[in-house]
Amino acid sequence: MQLQNNKNKFNPFSLVIIVLFIAFSINPIFGGVLIVAIIFFLVKNPKSLTTYFSNYLQMTSKLQENLTENNSDIFKELNTNTQPIIPANIFNVLSKKVRLEKRKKYLHIALNSTLEEAGDIISQLPVSDRILIEAGTPLIKIYGTEAISRIKALAPAGTYIVADNKCTDLAAREVEMMANAGANASTCLGVAPIETIDSFIEECQKFNIDSMVDMMNVENALSVLKKLKKLPDVVMLHRGVDETEFSAEKQIPFYQIKQIKGNYDVLVAVAGGDTIREAQRAIFNDADIVVVWKNFYQSSNDTAKLAESFLQEIK
Amino acid sequence: MLNQRSKYLQIAFNRSLDEVKGMIAMLPVSEKIIIEAGTPLIKQYGKSGITALKDWWEEKLQKPGYIVADLKCMDRGTTEVQAVAEAGASAATCLGLAPIETINEFIRECEKAGIDSMVDMMNVEFPFEILQKLKKLPTVVVLHRGVDENEKNREKQIPLDQIHRIKGTYGKVLISVAGGETTREVVRTFFNDSDIAVIWRSFYEAPKNTAQLAQDFLKLVK
Repeated sequence: MQLQNNKNKFNPFSLVIIVLFIAFSINPIFGGVLIVAIIFFLVKNPKSLTTYFSNYLQMTSKLQENLTENNSDIFKELNTNTQPIIPANIFNVLSKKVRLEKRKKYLHIALNSTLEEAGDIISQLPVSDRILIEAGTPLIKIYGTEAISRIKALAPAGTYIVADNKCTDLAAREVEMMANAGANASTCLGVAPIETIDSFIEECQKFNIDSMVDMMNVENALSVLKKLKKLPDVVMLHRGVDETEFSAEKQIPFYQIKQIKGNYDVLVAVAGGDTIREAQRAIFNDADIVVVWKNFYQSSNDTAKLAESFLQEIK
Repeated sequence: MLNQRSKYLQIAFNRSLDEVKGMIAMLPVSEKIIIEAGTPLIKQYGKSGITALKDWWEEKLQKPGYIVADLKCMDRGTTEVQAVAEAGASAATCLGLAPIETINEFIRECEKAGIDSMVDMMNVEFPFEILQKLKKLPTVVVLHRGVDENEKNREKQIPLDQIHRIKGTYGKVLISVAGGETTREVVRTFFNDSDIAVIWRSFYEAPKNTAQLAQDFLKLVK
């Protein structure tokens, strides 16, 4: 069923091939010119290729799911044993270059429970370059760097993957590990020693990934930023889950967003709660990235809805 | 669990598992040696890294050894503690820099899981202030200088004078000191009344020397 649906969809690749064929039958030289033009176009816009392949990868992963639903046992084994890492790895080269853009607004989805649930959530998400997927700290600590490469493999190719490693020491080693596992960004704690944050940002630049500094439990983010040698790409204003649960009166300091953006040329991410209204509030307060996790942590039902309404309402 | 009267040497492992296996084989057999799964190791291999260390050390000791999972927990204490306890760790660490709610939750969860709780006071200026705010005391307080700090900023020192003050006020907690590397430094931390000395750098660079250090240490504390 799924397969047929996908076949009926408009397919740019087959269209290009048909046009090429016609061109060749009219005049071989004309065909040759067209090939050169297409190659030129692809070199200029590598992203157009990525979206095509991401559709393809989603289709195959959906197909696999359908199969598992039908005959459970055998395919479950197959699923766990054979990881679909191979197709995604080809695009590691391409997607490593994916960096955040200054003018866009992003939705950052943190995955924290298990890899199975992560796969479930990812398959329901709409495809967009404005959705960032995060391998949460518990996932990294439980599965190791495998968590990142698995999530990268599950997600559509070219998806921006954040490794929430919450680095506090030995920054060089951790950044290298995360970058090699395929992450596009890595996080460091704002409460860590300044020397660690400095070396973290330096290493991130070396490996061409974005650096995020997580200001959890930091009273004044500006005073940390002041001490740094170089600025990180993203500053994250963050309330811990434990804090939120046990003392609800602490609030995310929205007023700090403007302060930070006024003084420094960085993107600001805010943990924005779990409804579309809260996300809107964060964006309205000038945040560039909204981090959501609670919904996703508990069930994956409302995931797609929130992501879709985010994409629609916040441009 | 840890004995209040005894002194321990904790060796942190941060390298790849293959290398770690060889290093563990070089260590002398003693219950006074604690094996730590370092943060980078946990982030690289996850739970399976901890289990591997535990199995190797158990093989060497011929009985279950003491394994510390250096989680450096900052949030979601519950999930992480459960995971490492399952993996076979005997203790887990939490950052003193974390929100107080997280540390409280972490200590409670450690008790529930039956493992020791360690609070790492890296980059905390006054460990006292944090201990005061806690509902329950952790089993161990770790006084710690970060590796990155050490390399770039040599004038910062481990506050050895704090050990007596903490022990005087909170009799029950054990104190662990991370940072010293040579026999002399290890002796100095014990002289200042710490219970556990954590080393890693010398092991990273010259595993054989550290095996020697471990042996020296064992002679010393006998």
